[in-house]
Amino acid sequence: MDLSLTPEQEMLKTAVRGFIQQEYPKETLLEIAAEEQPVTAEPWQRLVATGWLGISIPQEYGGEGGSFTDAGVLFEELGRGPVPGPHLSSCVLAASAILEGGTEEQKRQWLPALARGERILVPAMNEGSYSWAEEDVQVVARQDGGGLRLDGTKVYVFDAVSATHLLCTARSEESNEVGLVIVPVTANGVAIRSLPGFTWNMYEVKLDGVSVDQSSLIGSSFAGGWDALQKAIARTIPVMCAYQVGACQSVYELSVDYSRTRIQFGRPIGRFQRVEDHIINLVNQLDAARWTTYETLWKLDSGQEATDSIHLAKAVGSAAYYQACNFAHEVHAGVGSMTEYGLTLHTTASRSLYHYLGDPQFHRRRLADALSL
Amino acid sequence: MDFEPTYTPEQEEFRQEVREWLKENVSPDISHPPDSINITEEQYQLRRALGRKLGEKGWLWATAPEEYGGGGLALDHAVVIEEEVDSYGLTVPPYYDSGGRLGGASIMVWGTEEQKQTFLPPIFRGEVRTWQLLTEPEAGSDLANAKMSAERDGDEYVINGQKIYVGSSLGADYMWTITCTDNEAPRHQNLGWFMIPADLPGITIQPMDLLISGGEAGAGSGVKNTVFFDNVRVPAFNLIGGENEGWKVATTHLELEHGTGGRIARNWLVDHLFEYCRENKRNGQPLTKDPEVRDKLIDIYVEAEIARLFNLRNYWMRHSKADITYEGPQASYWRKMSGLRMSQSILDILGPSALTYDPQWGAADGHVEAHQRSAIVAIHPGGTADIQKLIMARRIGIGREVREKAGALA
Repeated sequence: MDLSLTPEQEMLKTAVRGFIQQEYPKETLLEIAAEEQPVTAEPWQRLVATGWLGISIPQEYGGEGGSFTDAGVLFEELGRGPVPGPHLSSCVLAASAILEGGTEEQKRQWLPALARGERILVPAMNEGSYSWAEEDVQVVARQDGGGLRLDGTKVYVFDAVSATHLLCTARSEESNEVGLVIVPVTANGVAIRSLPGFTWNMYEVKLDGVSVDQSSLIGSSFAGGWDALQKAIARTIPVMCAYQVGACQSVYELSVDYSRTRIQFGRPIGRFQRVEDHIINLVNQLDAARWTTYETLWKLDSGQEATDSIHLAKAVGSAAYYQACNFAHEVHAGVGSMTEYGLTLHTTASRSLYHYLGDPQFHRRRLADALSL
Repeated sequence: MDFEPTYTPEQEEFRQEVREWLKENVSPDISHPPDSINITEEQYQLRRALGRKLGEKGWLWATAPEEYGGGGLALDHAVVIEEEVDSYGLTVPPYYDSGGRLGGASIMVWGTEEQKQTFLPPIFRGEVRTWQLLTEPEAGSDLANAKMSAERDGDEYVINGQKIYVGSSLGADYMWTITCTDNEAPRHQNLGWFMIPADLPGITIQPMDLLISGGEAGAGSGVKNTVFFDNVRVPAFNLIGGENEGWKVATTHLELEHGTGGRIARNWLVDHLFEYCRENKRNGQPLTKDPEVRDKLIDIYVEAEIARLFNLRNYWMRHSKADITYEGPQASYWRKMSGLRMSQSILDILGPSALTYDPQWGAADGHVEAHQRSAIVAIHPGGTADIQKLIMARRIGIGREVREKAGALA
């Protein structure tokens, strides 16, 4: 038993933390959040240049070939920002889908480009009847000449504005099977629109008679596409959970600092037990997220069956981030609601991540299945 | 990271040895009443006998130093022993004892060499059972307000006063207790700890009638008691850590009691409940097929998983000597509060069968009924849930620039 990180992981953690303090200060994060622009300019290019984003991609395909825990360490630090995507969506989730379902040629074509950030491939999975079930995929793919023609609408697509390509789930008109199709965002008939409101990097993608080559179909067949995506989601969830752990950690540190410096009634507010309670509730959520996440990463690294742990980690981790932000707002009151303070960056992210790759209740129900209840 | 004790081939060999030894030495007559208040003298003696045998092997307090009667084994060996004993539904030691983990560990830090040589070997070999006596009627959460007096008289101290909510059924050999050694001195500078032979004249034990007393699966603590001390004469040698130095000893004791030690045992309640819900039907189908029951079972499972991971983390932190701060009281707080939340989910799932240990109508052989009561009573032992939060706040440094340090551990 050893719950510490390896010296290499500690070095990575320190390096990433330093990089993010330097390149993604609060002011930069607030600018990115305000602009709704592609994040492909600086400092994203410098982040890509570190090579870290290829951590989940095998070395033979141009990545770093890191372990799940290595990826967890990296993404925990990104979550502290919170540094916005498309790191998780493109370099972990889309890359894993190609790794799971792509032909050898597709792997060679896509994975090195994703690792180097030359292409950004963003999964477009959900539709209007928000769900994670195969039955609810209604975007249609028709055989059209030598290629495919896609029609339909994807919603709640993370990072779409930063993408060069979309990885769309689509239902074959011929076979009724759901596969994965790569669509360039520049193709005719693709329209991307930001979803206004309390959203975090979330978009609508309209596909109106979009034509793509037959080679855009992952695995060159619709069959197996859905399963590849499910496997990719399972591999991505623990890494995403590590991102939420870092985010909770950041929210926790903000709250402890504030409890020491904010004076009311002549003393630091943290000396009032009501305020203490919020931070204790917060740290309990943080640690619950941390240890369910890292146990899952470890199980995957050691080749163990981890289905139940993956569901547990997502159910606990997304609820924890949501709750951690609420507790932080109770500590901070008015200041916490000021955009320039920075807490709302997390609060906004926590709501969107709550649902990304399945909400807590969805994963609790699958946990029951995994436990053979 | 590695969440599992690493099982080297040598350890697996050791596991076989432990397994075979336990097969030989765990009496098939040992049973587990859901409420440990029903533990009989005969059951207790079976457990004590097993404890003594484990002690002889050095497996009772496996990681305690050999020179003081412990096993002198590495953590990974201790884990194997705990896992194998746990498979019998027993703990190490297999009965209620505050001697090794609390009293003994405190003496390891604060005792003189002579005191260690005297008190530790019988504890670590399982020859004696020790109760901890901390709480008094006026010293509950405010332990430093202990008023039981210890007055020096020649080579002895004379002890007078009362302790409450302490001990177990069927007596003890030693009482590990905090007293007031100076009525005039300021708080925290007026205390002294004693290791007191339980058979000294003037000690009276009076069992208490509580909602439930034990409940800890496998440990079998049984009743709690009020203990009266009436001019009890204790050798001065039995004062641990020095006169008026008791608070520093208390920091060690409390550090351990607040969950820092961690546990790696599995949660038998969840096992019992899952099994019950798989095997019992409502509306013609197993309870586990009812969507609402499934949701509640997952609520319980998630609570228990978080508790397991907090305990595992603390176990590792203690044994790897990692810098531990708020994690001990966090694990206690989570266990106490999640226990209460779980008991409501269980009541939702099972209905009134959760409230009876009637052999015909009670759920899971009465284990569930005992939990409904023990979840409530568990709020207070080892520091109330609120006290756990208070310690966490100090250790985290909420509203404070200086973070309080954890108590010294051996």
